[in-house]
Amino acid sequence: MSDQMPEFNPDDLRQSMEADIVCVGYGPATAGFLATLIPALMNEDGTPIAESKAMPGMPPQVLCYERADDIGFGVSGIVTKGRGIRASFPDLDLSQIPMACPVTEEKVAYLYDPVGASRKSTGMKAAEKFLLPFKKNFAAELPWIPPFLRKEPGMLLSMGQFLSWTGAQAMGSGMAQIWPGMPVEKALVQGDKVTGVRLVDQGVAKDGTPEGAFMPGMDVKAGLTVVGDGPVGPVGRGLNREFGMPEGNHQREWAVGMKMVVDLPEGCRLKPGTVLHTLGYPEPEIFGFLYVYPENVASLGIFVPSWFDSPVRTAYRYLQHWMMHPYLWQHLQGGTMRSWGAKSLLESGRRGEPFLTGDGWARIGEGSGTTNVLTGSGVDEAWTSGAQLGQAVIDLLREGREFTKDNLDVAYAARRRASWLEEESVQSEKARDGFQKGMVTGLMGMALSGLTRGAINLSGPQKRVYERIPSLEEYYRDTIPAGEIIRIRDACRAKGQSLHDALMDRAGWPSIPFDGKLLVSHQDALLMGGKVQANPGFADHVRFLDPQACARCRTNICVEACSGQAITINPDGPVPLFDREKCVHCGACLWNCTQAHPDDPEQTNVDFRAGSGGLHSAEN
Amino acid sequence: MSYHIVVCGSIVPDPLQTLTPVDGPQGPALKNEMMLPAVLDPWAGHALYEAANLAARHADCRVWLVSLGPKAKLQQVMMAVAQKAPFELVAVDGPASGFTDSFAVAEALAEAIEGIADLDRDKLLLFGGWQSASRGAGSTIQMVAERLGIVDQFQGVDQLNITDNGLEVLERIEGGSWLTSTVQGAPAAFGWATGELPEPPNNPQVGMMNMKTIMPALQKAKPAALGNGFGVNNVSLPQVVRETRVVKDMPVDDIARELVDWIQG
Amino acid sequence: MSILYLAHTDDNGSLPKAALEALTAAQKLAADLGRPLKIGLLGADVQQAAQSIGGCNAEAFFSVSGEAFGPSRYSTDAAACAALCSAAEAGIVIAPATLRLARCLPGTAYRLGGRIDTNITALDAADGQPLPTRWYYRQRMSGQVQRDTQSFSGPWILTLAPGCAAPAECPGQAAPQAVDVPLDGLTRTTVTGVKQPNVDAQTIRPDADLLLVAGAGWTKKQNDGQAHVKEAGELLLDFLGKTKSSLGSSKSLVDLGSEGQDVLDFLTHLHQVGQTGSTPRHPKGLATCCHGEEPHVVGWRFINERRAVNLDAGCGWAHGKADVLYVADAFDVMKKVNELLGK
Repeated sequence: MSDQMPEFNPDDLRQSMEADIVCVGYGPATAGFLATLIPALMNEDGTPIAESKAMPGMPPQVLCYERADDIGFGVSGIVTKGRGIRASFPDLDLSQIPMACPVTEEKVAYLYDPVGASRKSTGMKAAEKFLLPFKKNFAAELPWIPPFLRKEPGMLLSMGQFLSWTGAQAMGSGMAQIWPGMPVEKALVQGDKVTGVRLVDQGVAKDGTPEGAFMPGMDVKAGLTVVGDGPVGPVGRGLNREFGMPEGNHQREWAVGMKMVVDLPEGCRLKPGTVLHTLGYPEPEIFGFLYVYPENVASLGIFVPSWFDSPVRTAYRYLQHWMMHPYLWQHLQGGTMRSWGAKSLLESGRRGEPFLTGDGWARIGEGSGTTNVLTGSGVDEAWTSGAQLGQAVIDLLREGREFTKDNLDVAYAARRRASWLEEESVQSEKARDGFQKGMVTGLMGMALSGLTRGAINLSGPQKRVYERIPSLEEYYRDTIPAGEIIRIRDACRAKGQSLHDALMDRAGWPSIPFDGKLLVSHQDALLMGGKVQANPGFADHVRFLDPQACARCRTNICVEACSGQAITINPDGPVPLFDREKCVHCGACLWNCTQAHPDDPEQTNVDFRAGSGGLHSAEN
Repeated sequence: MSYHIVVCGSIVPDPLQTLTPVDGPQGPALKNEMMLPAVLDPWAGHALYEAANLAARHADCRVWLVSLGPKAKLQQVMMAVAQKAPFELVAVDGPASGFTDSFAVAEALAEAIEGIADLDRDKLLLFGGWQSASRGAGSTIQMVAERLGIVDQFQGVDQLNITDNGLEVLERIEGGSWLTSTVQGAPAAFGWATGELPEPPNNPQVGMMNMKTIMPALQKAKPAALGNGFGVNNVSLPQVVRETRVVKDMPVDDIARELVDWIQG
Repeated sequence: MSILYLAHTDDNGSLPKAALEALTAAQKLAADLGRPLKIGLLGADVQQAAQSIGGCNAEAFFSVSGEAFGPSRYSTDAAACAALCSAAEAGIVIAPATLRLARCLPGTAYRLGGRIDTNITALDAADGQPLPTRWYYRQRMSGQVQRDTQSFSGPWILTLAPGCAAPAECPGQAAPQAVDVPLDGLTRTTVTGVKQPNVDAQTIRPDADLLLVAGAGWTKKQNDGQAHVKEAGELLLDFLGKTKSSLGSSKSLVDLGSEGQDVLDFLTHLHQVGQTGSTPRHPKGLATCCHGEEPHVVGWRFINERRAVNLDAGCGWAHGKADVLYVADAFDVMKKVNELLGK
């Protein structure tokens, strides 16, 4: 605790500001919203379509607050059909956006295990035999790609560059302001109504206690709050808590995507526009992707899903083993990491959809359940939901109607329900349920749902993530004796180290031969790739709610899964340590926790609040 | 006494980015220069915060930020900078590259300053960075000041106090010391080292206020012609990769002995 | 057009080491280009300085001297340098990049319609012109500056970074020709003195053989779960006292101070080494408890031999930046080192 407790009420210092529309988070959904709204705010004669209520005489005042230190900081390489994006930009010229290009070739490859450390079920081994005729370089390229997985004709984009491009256009118009480096703490809720947002406090200690330069977070009051802060965003999750979820909906399926942008080695044979998707290795549950941008650059990475029941699921080491698979390493060896990062993906799709509207607020993007879990497509869907809200807001402004729940339901939610976004979302809703029972069942379920357009599904109950996580002893029961696990755990705890490296070494994974360019230590990836930073004066945004729950935890999966090694073993007690200067804001800790929230079984013991900093790269 | 403080400062690549030189059509450039995240030059940033702080403590002061850089990048960086301190932007559209001539940059900046309608030269305090994270020549502010007729100049400034006797200045000199001087008053020029102020928090209201001048300034930004007769050639990265001997599991006593031998050797 | 070598005296009336280094470069350039070398000296009294380089084979010596030119002051320095350039009809000016000249020479160049390039680390000649090399982007990359000298009328001034040439040794008789500089309007600034930490507290020693760099690890929790900032400070100061080395710091450690954390109170921003700090020159450097990330390491560009003590074997130092990385607890190591140094 800080010893400089202020003798004042923070609310006395709190500033307040009026706007008409306030957006939370500048991701693809908000980008789609602003790209639709802004050009329509003025009539052809130069008059606004509606008068600002916050600043009478002016056009509507539109503000957007983004947590990251600049717009476009974050991580994602994108392959997308881009239907929504093209609808917004009919004359889209990809050559104007750095790192963008059309998809030219798609391949799906099953990766055999070249090191002999991967877990393979009997079903997977049978599938491997079936693919043997296609095996080359420890991989089998599937002879046929199901149409629901195909992205052609589509485009490859760097999320960072695409958002920088859209953001520059939005700001250049002068009709909206996008403020980076400004996390939003929560929505301002009055009864059933949202009246705006509160920004985070600054000038506080790690625990949030005001210090010398204390500046309480400002209240931004607005007629409409557009919530697009993603699946781990504190504002959206706060609304989920405040208003609950629709009957039967829940957010129990997640993945962490860990990715890199790589300068490919000279003479690399991969052509721009190439899309590779992999499955089977380094563990059967881990999927991989590699997209080739122009100028010999690739975006690549893996997805580690919540149903990969490993209590030591470190994405970083698995990413390195995946890159070193001969099928990929033939292209990557000699390359240089340009950028690196990680992000949580909400993979519940339609089933994770919260209430989309309320009085004074609307939800868009991934946090509103837009991701299509069958096609593995999220960006264009998020964009489309934003564009739909943009159109809705234009209609309401033109008609002079308030942003009430009823009006937003008609103008936005109904528009979304009537669109391809909803149709495909429903088709895919149960497509991944089979993975709850295993990899092979999951793949079969996806194929069934995909080929029948959701008519036939391998559906079943979905466990919460913490209900799935086994003990170390259970997970390694066939490979490492329980006594040895205890010894390894004690040794690692004594050194304050996470367990995954020791256990993976013991399980037969070879050590990574660091080359200082592409294969580097996890900490170097943070510095060289992610350029991770955190501004001073903000509170820790990762909090462990109940120390007793941490005391009960035997796996510390939050430490193992932390993408930035920001959460570490605490030698002094059960509650892990958190170093926000290393946090990449992926939010994996939020769902990688073995303990339920003290009051809410759908939440865990980790709270992921509004925080500053994170990745400093816009190339992803 | 009130002051008109003009801060010269532009954008530089975010310090943690990896920088690689490439040959471009106009000479050397940075690889992916337009894609690299940019920030306000740290030294110019210190100057701006010091200016805002000074303006806040004295009545009727005004602060301008005069910035030469590519308009699109300036727009992006200004969204972050604008939240830090109140200022009025004067933008000049041109390269923020390190491979430009400080003389040409100084001319462009001075011309922009001469164009500030409300500027009272008798009240002028010209601020800038002592160094920069791009060219880092440490020569631009002096030339801007010369063109504006300012002959009282200070570099490596860590402190500026306004007293009854005038402006007391602390300048860095060799050996970790400071030179102390007093100048009778404005006009004077100051190239700031790090100063003494931490980076201010992001204040959204300050940002909103600044935007009233920032967007019009960017729209009005005139292109700068940076002259000719200057070039930088053979730009290269130093290729000194050392063979690092990583010593693990050596007893502390042995490490200490080895270190002492090395220190005394 | 002649080459003018420009320098100022130090407090003792002699030439600083950096000035003697720049003279070597000026002599070489004059020889390479086949142009006459002239000398311009500035200071309260330049006689001793002139004698110390009287044997440099210069064609002429000029000086601006007097009490007004003793202290380092922009207005008088810029006027004096401009007068010296004019007197010598200088086409090229070579000067050391001391803080005094680095401050005034850009203005001098501007006044005379000339151009300036600063912090030159190597000075070659090509096609009858100087070909200076300097760093860009905070020592991240180097390049050669090319100027069309026909495109401007004044002198081309080049300041040479310290440590890039051997100091000249050429004492001899010299009788500089005094150049008069009127002081009208040049004394609005009064130099009042030098502020320096007391001798015991002085931890920046530019001429030291060793640079000791402290990183943020010194203030973090140690194995016992506690931070030991006081002990860290004592260990570092003890080492500095015994070795008379110079102290540097990583940015993160200095920044901790502005965040209100418990830090080493003898550290200021002046100690910061790296991208946004200094780039000191020392034969050896020892990094303790710092991670060796790129922005910090650019500040080590001119440290010849580099060793690091760090708990992380995979840290940035391990990747070709240090000569030796000791994976060990710096508290233990430095304690023992101090013990050995004390014997």
